[in-house]
This record gives sequence, structure tokens and C-alpha cells, in this order.
Amino acid sequence: MINAVLVFNNNGQPRLTKFYTQLDTSVQQRLISEIFTLVANRPNSSCNFLPLPPLLAGSSTTPSPTAQHNDTPSLVTYRHYATLYFIIISTSTESPLALLDLIQVYVEALDRLFENVCELDLIFNFETLHATLAEMIVGGVVVETGLERVVEGVKSQGRVAKRPTGDSGVGSLGRLGALGREGIWVGR
Amino acid sequence: MFEKSLYDLIRGLRNHKGNEKEYIQESLRECRKEIRSQDMNLKATALLKITYLEMFGYDMSWASFNVLEVMSSQIYGQKKVGYLAAIQSFRPDTEVLMLAENLLKKDLTSPTPVVITLPLVAIPHVVNPSMANSLLSDLLPRLTHSHAAIRKKTIVTLYRLALVYPETLRPAWPKIKERLQDENEDPSVTSAIVNVVCELGWRRPQDFLPLAPRLFDLLVAGGNNWMAIKLIKLFATLTPLEPRLIKKLLPPLTTIIKTTPAMSLLYECIHGIIQGGILDSIEGTTEGEEVARLCVGKLRSMLVVEGDPNLKFVALLAFQKIVTSHPHLVSLHQDVILECIDDPDISIRMRALDLAVGMVNPENVAMIVERLLRQLFEAPVATAADDITNDRGMHNGVEPAADSDDEGAGEALRPAERKSSLPPPLPEEYRVNAIRSILEICSRDTYANLSDFDWYLDVLVKLVKACPTVQPSSTNDDSLSDDSRDNRDISYAIGRELQNVAVRVKSMRTEAAAAAQFLLLTDSRDKLFPAHGNGGRGVLGYCAWIAGEYAPFLTSPEAVLDSLLHSSTTRLPPPTLAISIHAILKLVTHICGSGMTWTPHRRTTTALLLAKTIHFLEPLASHPALEVQERAVEYLELLRLAAEAATGHPASDEAFAEPPLLLTQALPALFTGMELNPVAPGALRKVPPPADIDLDAPINPNLAAILRAAEEDDLSEELQDGFEIFYKQRPEGIAISDSAVSAAARLEAALKSDLSSSYQNPSPVEDDATTARRRAERRERYKDDPFYIASDEDSGSGSQMHRIIKNSNGGEEIDIDAIPIMDLELEHGELLRAAAPAKKKASRRRVEIVADENLGGDGEDASRPDPVRPVPARGKKSVLLVDSSGLGSLSLEGDSGGTLDIEQREAEEKALREVERLRLEMQRASERIQAKEEGVVVRKKKKKRGKEGDAPPVAVEEGVAAKPKKKKRQIDMTDAAVPA
Repeated sequence: MINAVLVFNNNGQPRLTKFYTQLDTSVQQRLISEIFTLVANRPNSSCNFLPLPPLLAGSSTTPSPTAQHNDTPSLVTYRHYATLYFIIISTSTESPLALLDLIQVYVEALDRLFENVCELDLIFNFETLHATLAEMIVGGVVVETGLERVVEGVKSQGRVAKRPTGDSGVGSLGRLGALGREGIWVGR
Repeated sequence: MFEKSLYDLIRGLRNHKGNEKEYIQESLRECRKEIRSQDMNLKATALLKITYLEMFGYDMSWASFNVLEVMSSQIYGQKKVGYLAAIQSFRPDTEVLMLAENLLKKDLTSPTPVVITLPLVAIPHVVNPSMANSLLSDLLPRLTHSHAAIRKKTIVTLYRLALVYPETLRPAWPKIKERLQDENEDPSVTSAIVNVVCELGWRRPQDFLPLAPRLFDLLVAGGNNWMAIKLIKLFATLTPLEPRLIKKLLPPLTTIIKTTPAMSLLYECIHGIIQGGILDSIEGTTEGEEVARLCVGKLRSMLVVEGDPNLKFVALLAFQKIVTSHPHLVSLHQDVILECIDDPDISIRMRALDLAVGMVNPENVAMIVERLLRQLFEAPVATAADDITNDRGMHNGVEPAADSDDEGAGEALRPAERKSSLPPPLPEEYRVNAIRSILEICSRDTYANLSDFDWYLDVLVKLVKACPTVQPSSTNDDSLSDDSRDNRDISYAIGRELQNVAVRVKSMRTEAAAAAQFLLLTDSRDKLFPAHGNGGRGVLGYCAWIAGEYAPFLTSPEAVLDSLLHSSTTRLPPPTLAISIHAILKLVTHICGSGMTWTPHRRTTTALLLAKTIHFLEPLASHPALEVQERAVEYLELLRLAAEAATGHPASDEAFAEPPLLLTQALPALFTGMELNPVAPGALRKVPPPADIDLDAPINPNLAAILRAAEEDDLSEELQDGFEIFYKQRPEGIAISDSAVSAAARLEAALKSDLSSSYQNPSPVEDDATTARRRAERRERYKDDPFYIASDEDSGSGSQMHRIIKNSNGGEEIDIDAIPIMDLELEHGELLRAAAPAKKKASRRRVEIVADENLGGDGEDASRPDPVRPVPARGKKSVLLVDSSGLGSLSLEGDSGGTLDIEQREAEEKALREVERLRLEMQRASERIQAKEEGVVVRKKKKKRGKEGDAPPVAVEEGVAAKPKKKKRQIDMTDAAVPA
């Protein structure tokens, strides 16, 4: 299952934190900063799987060789889009490549909702960010992977606020649609 | 007053670059005020703001009641804010949870689907067992809700309910199963059920076998790759239980592997085939060969063709799983796998390294090791900046910072470009891993893969140079076990390998000794050890041991001795230094001990050598490490005796002169007895305990009475006789004999006094008859008391030496034959066992490798439990872990499976939390005391604690203990000052 979904920017500023276990705020922050440190040091050519951060690695018990799975989070998957890192922490029951696709669906859904999404949208509409995630993952289990249904689900909860126009002084708001087509694996 | 919206807060944050902290504190103050207002709108906005700030680590637990207020709002928008705040901020100890229960129930039965969704999503975050019990009845009807979105979320929520309250599954599982079997069900609901079943499946696979036909149909029907991935994962847990499934699964799986364009599905198919043991069970058949070849071929293409680092990574993971069962299949592809060892991505390298360790065989061992060596020496050393622990994030944590608008936050989210970058410098962790892998590859199964030990020794010596610098730790080296030392400094492991080769491979002893000599010589150390830092030093202790033990094999023992006597040796860590001291004595013995004629020249060189050694050892006699000190003191005495014997022994140039016996016979006899052989770790435990020893029988049956008697005994009298005499009236003779008299003279004197004073003779001090009688009485009383050490009868007379000798000789005659000695019968067992080479080749040299000695069979003997082996402690839970162990005891199929002990478990957990809380409190209390040593502050705390009443008395105790301790220390110091 999925243990946590995190979004932070290139400076480690959190944009979304979602833990599917109840965790102390301070521990959450430590985990975020540990993962940020790991992820920020990786060259872009590296693969999208992180070694376990110290906070998770230290306490992970060595699984017995006979058991295939256990409850211990063992996989940290991330994707980097422009200024943002999307991170999923999960156990061995999730497929690593499918998780990468899942992040892709999430970003595409956001792009649909905000029409050309950028970090600013997410900063000012963190509620929508949460709502979109809730359409895809409930309690650490993936409930929806279809782009249309996710977007539909969020829209049914009310109008999605646009980014305040005063802030969009940045010209380089390229389309993200290209991104949607170039998903690495046609996993869906 | 002006109220800020979330938008204003974020804008404000961005406008207050540099002093965000103050701005946030101010905003939080405003929020605290706003949240108490009667205006729901204002309340909800304030809550949204603090929820936003919670993301940056600002605690919002104080607002939990307000969260509840907003959750119960009638307006959907506000309700949504309240639920989000609850999800983000509620913790297991949040007290308002009880109050939330009714609200959740109410919202679950709402007619509006979007409102139902809110509690469905929130429940997994906040649920506890008692709540689960009460919510269950409201959740179950939602399984048949007309909206598919509600149905699938309900299913997942029920799963999370089951994790804390397994009983949930009794009513829920039949309904969920019904949904799964329903072919008209919305595919996304089916997919969600499969996800849940996959999570449940690995805990209790046997309960899901009846579902196999339906799951199989879903897999064959295809259409949804996400679901197919989960189905395959699920089947991988089912196949070990039901081998017939394998035959059925193989055709669809191979079809998918051959046809699917989705790499994730392809990978999971292969992974499932490996994980489910399908490869093993069809092994030998033509079909099996084909499938295996297909899988491995696809994995190979993932490594080579795609050039995608993610595919490389997962392919290596899959290879890793095959390598244990099918090493030959993997080693067919060693070319591409070894390519990955040089991959710029460290994650991929690590995987490849693990894999290399698994697929090593006698043919490729040299190639793999050479490759790793080249990598270790060619890559630049990682600088401190590359070390992640030095990153600012680790020290400061993440603070919300105002990022200006033009910083790129407006940039659309595109995948970051993959830039080719230079190969990164090797981080130390990787270096250590690589070295450890090399050692493991070579030493596996007592060197089964190795034939060329010359080469191996060369590799070991080279590795020393690659050792990363080790941070000197504050902990004393003495306290570290071998393992923990290895973890800190890999060079210890290298040293141990050198030692292992020297001991086990007799034919290579000369070469091993030469390698040790090479590493020990100070002249060559510059070349062999890393240029910077202190890496590799751990190898020195082992080298010194080899040099000492196998001194006859050294080409120039004198040079080695010189290097060991170099002043830099004294700066080595204490355990290494202790070994070096021992090696020095062995070397001295070897150099001086030859039986050749005793010429004046030889006498001079020997005396010089001994003097030099004594000079080296003298300062070490006061070394802080006890092991070093003890050895230094002992060997000093020995060497002083030897020096005296050497200088006093008449030498002759012409006729054959016998060298002193102490040098040729006595000293060598200390070290040349039996050959040292490796002993299996469990061998000692296999020595059966003597039959006539009853460990349960008390040594002294009336111990309690004796203890009582001891308490009643007059203490002052005791002090006067025993302690006073021993500590205060120390005979002055000791001090004098310690330094002034030479060792030989002392020995002689000791012998003389031993002859003159017999055991029975009363000492001249004891002239008082009454004292003597009283002592005799007490001695009689305490004869069997293990806690009573009889005071020396002659504590006033004689030198230290005298006493020592007397105690060992003049005491009870020890009957050496009476000491029970177990006959280990080691000689009958096979001492030498040639490691059978896997393949006999004409070119391969047969090397005799000594295997571990053991008693009886090789297996572990359970008859005698290892007293030292630690009981496997229950590991600490991972922070993110969602515990599903409660499911393990619940049978889904039977009516009443295992008994459930939810309440007990809950109580246990509660107790554990309580313990943890107390521990933290204690820790904080002690920290406070440490921070404020002032007695006043401590006392204040004490009062406050006392008022609270329920707080543990730890802080108080600490506070009380702190003061007298300080006082006591002062007394101690003055006491110590008096004798000085």
C-alpha cells in the first residue's frame, strides 16, 4: 500500500503532505527534509527510485526471507516536474513502474483542472491538490487511475479556483499537454 | 479588524521574505482569534490557514475542537475544510475523536454523494478500534450505493477499518466478494476491490484461493493494465499454495510478456513468475526452459535496449531475485550486468553490486573483482559537500520561505530534462559496500571460488588504499565488538581476511606474511595507505598478528620489529596496540631465540634489541587502556629478565657458546606449542557439560545465614584489621622493590623468602595473642563465605613478589592431574579439508584450505543454548508502517477462525504508548536538569511537579539526586587529595 504522498519544490518547500498513517508533525517534517536531501542530490539522469531515507531505513526490520511482502515501507518513488518533486512512499505490494505512472496521472489530472498547471496554482489551491489526490488514493489504496474520472470527481465537488491573475506575471507558461502524451510507459 | 484569506496569507508570506517566521507567528495569533469567532465563514478560513501552515510543521493540535466545529458546518465548502483539517492534524491521541463519531455517522448517511465522500476519505486517517466497531453498521450499506465512486471508496475504507478492527471483515467480506463476482460492476470498483484483495492477499493467501477463477478471468479479459499488475502480484502469493494454478497461469502470462507494450505490466509479469516460484516448479521441462529464457531475455533487453535508468533498476531487482535459485541463468548475462556496475547512477550500481555478489563463480570471480577495483581507484573521492548529512536540510529542517514570483514557480510542470552529467564521485557508503562485496565474493564458502591466492593477497593489499576515512568516534574502541567495528571501518574486515588466508591456506603463509610485512613497514606505508585521512588503519592489528605468529616466514623480521617499535605505533587504537605489543614480543623471541653460538657480537645486538623494546614498552605500562597496560607490564618484566640474562651470559668467539636458555628455550616455549587452527563459531557450545556438575545446586546451602551473620558483624573491627592494615599501613618494602631492585634480584629474593617463611609460621607482626585468636575464629566462621576474602596472615611482612610466589606455591598443593580436561579428540576429526573445487581444471592449482574445526556434525547443536547470542529483539516499528498483522489471525472463510484479542492488543498498545510517553518525559526532565544545574530551578520544578500529582516522580528524584551527587564528588576529590 501507499504510505505517503509528498510534493515539494526544488527548495524543499512542501506543497502537499499526505501521510496515510498518523504521524507527529515533527516526524513528518524530518522525513520530508530527509527525502528532499536525498532527491536533491540526484542528477537528472538517475533512476526514479530512492534509497530509503535514514528515518525509514533505521527502523525497518529485516524481512524474513520466506515472506514476500510485509508492512514495512520499502519503496520511495519520485518524479521531477519543472520546479516540483512528487514522491510516493509505499510497501512492496505496489509496482514501482506503476507508481511512476500514477504520479503521471496525478499531474495530468492537475493539468486538466488548472488548464496548464504550474507550481503557483498548487500553492494557492492546496485544497484542490488534496481533493484530486483523494479521488485517486483513499487510505493508501489506489481507487482510481482513469484521468477522466479523477477530473470529473474533483469537479463534482465544486468549481476549481483559478490562480489569482495578479500572480501570473510569468510568461513562460508552456502547455503541459505535451507531457501527457509522452508518458514513459503506456501503462494505462 | 482586517481578516486575511488563505490567498492573503500566502501573498503575505511571499512579501515577507527574510522574516517569514515572525509573519507566520503573527498570522497564527490572528488565526487563534479568528477561529474562536461565531462567524462560521471566518472560522473556516482561519482553519484553512492553519492547515496550510501545518504543512510547514506548525503544530495545530490545539485547534482540534475547532476542526470539529467546522466539520459539522452545514455548508459543504466549510465542511470540506474541516474534514481536510481533520485528516491532516488528527493524531491517535486527539481527544475530540470520540465526539467526531456521531458526525461521521451522520455524514455517511447524507443524501448528497459529495458529502458521503468526505467521511469515507477521512475515516482511514482517524479510525481506532472502538470507532471502527460503531461506524461499521453505517459503512456497510454504502457498499451498494448507486454511485460507483462511493462504492469503491467504501471498500477501501472498510479495508482500513479491518486493519484496526479485523472483525470488520466478518460482515464486510461476503459483501465485498459479491461486488467482485458481479460482472456488471463498474470496472473501476472491481479494480479497487482487486487492490484491496492484493493488500489482504499476502497476509492470508489461503482465504483467497476460492476467488482464483474469477481473478483469472479478470486477468485474461485484460483491458486494465493497472488491475492486471495487481492481479499478477496477487497470483504470485497464491501459486505457492496451489501448484495447479501455475499450469493455468503460464499461457496468459507468456502471452502478456510477448505482446504487451506496457513495460510496467511486462515487468510485473516477469516479477510475478519469479516471485511466485513458477520458475522453480516448471524447471526441467522444455516449457520451463522456454519461459525462463523468455523472462531473462526480456530483462536483458530492459537493461540494454531501452537505456532507461528506471528499467535498468527494476530489471536488476528482478535478476537479484532469480540469482539465488538460478545463478547460471543470470551469469549468462553477466556482460550487461557488469556494465551496470559502472553506471553513473549510484542506485543502479548498488543493485548491480548486490547482483555481482550473487552470480560469482570460479570463472568470473577475477573479472568482477578487477572491475570493482578499477572503479574504486578511478573515481574521484566524494567531498564533504556530497555527503547528504552535511546538507542544510538535515540541520535546519525545512522552513517556509518566501519564494519570489519570478523564481520559476510559474513554470509549467514538465518533466525535468535528463541532462547527461559527469559520473558522480563515489560516496563512501558505496566504497565500503564495494569493498565488502569484494571480500564476500572471494571468501564465500571458505574460498570455494578462489584458486589464485597470490592474486587475492594482492587485491587485499590494494584494497587497503581504497579504504575511506573513518571519523574518530567518541566511543571507546574497547567497547566495540568485531561486527560494529567492521561497520564503522571496513579496513578491519580486510585485515581479518588477510589473517584468514594466513591461517587457513598453509601453502600461502609465506606470501601472507610478506603482505603483512609490506603493510607494516613504515617505509612502504605511504604508498599503501590512503594519502589522506586515516583510512585503512584497521588492517595494522591483523598484520601485526600475522607478523608475530608467523615470524619465521618473514623475510626481514628485524625491519618489521623496527616498524612496530616506531613511535607512531603508540598512537594506534588500544586493541590494535595490544595486538602489536604481543606481536613485538613474539618477534623479539624469534629474532633472539636461535640456537646459534653466543658470540660477543650477538650478545651486543641482542642486548640492544631488548633495550630498544623495553624503551618502547616502558611508557605503555601506564597506558589508559587496561589491556595495553597489562600486556606492557607483563612483557616488560619478561624482557627485563631476558636482558639481564643476555648481558650476564658469558660469550665466546672461538668455541661454541651456549646462548642463554631463557632466550632459546623459555621464551619460545611461550609461543611455539600447537599450531593455531580456525575453530567453528559453534564448536565451543558443543563441548558437552561434565555429567557430575549440577549447576542448580547451591554452592553454599546456608548462604542466607552467612549474609545475615556478616551484617551483624562489627564493622569497625573489620575496618581496623582488614581495610586499615591493607590500605593505610602499606608496608614500605613494596614501593622500594618496585623500581630499584632489578627483576632478577627480585625473583631471587622472592625464592629465598619463599624458602624461609613457611605457610604455618606466624608473621612477626602478629604478636598479640588475642588478635590472633579472634582472627582464627573469624576465619573459621567465614571459611565458606564466597564474599569474604581472607586477609593475608602476613600482611605486614615480605615483598609483593614474595606474596605472589607464596600464594601460588606454598598454598594448597594443586593436583594438576585432578583438573578435569575434556578430550576434544580434535586429531581424529579431519583437520584439513581440501576445499573441493567446483570444476577441476588442469590449470587450476589445488590449494589446501583449512576449514573450521568443529565437534561432531556441522549443524547447530541445540542441546546447549548459546548464552551470549542475543534474543532477536522485536524491531522498532517503521514510522510510516501501517500494521496489518491483526488480519493474520482472522479467517475469512471459516465461521470462527482464530480468536481475536483486539481489546488486549489495544490495551497493550496503549500501555506501550504510555511507556513511551513516560520515557520521553523522563528524558526531557533529565535534559532540563542538565541544562539548568542551578539548584533553585530544580527545586521549583519539583514543586510544580508535586502539584500536578500524576506526573512520575522521576524529575523529582533526578533533582534530588543531582545535588548530593555534586557534593559527594567534592568529598571524593578532597579524599583523593590527601594521600597525594
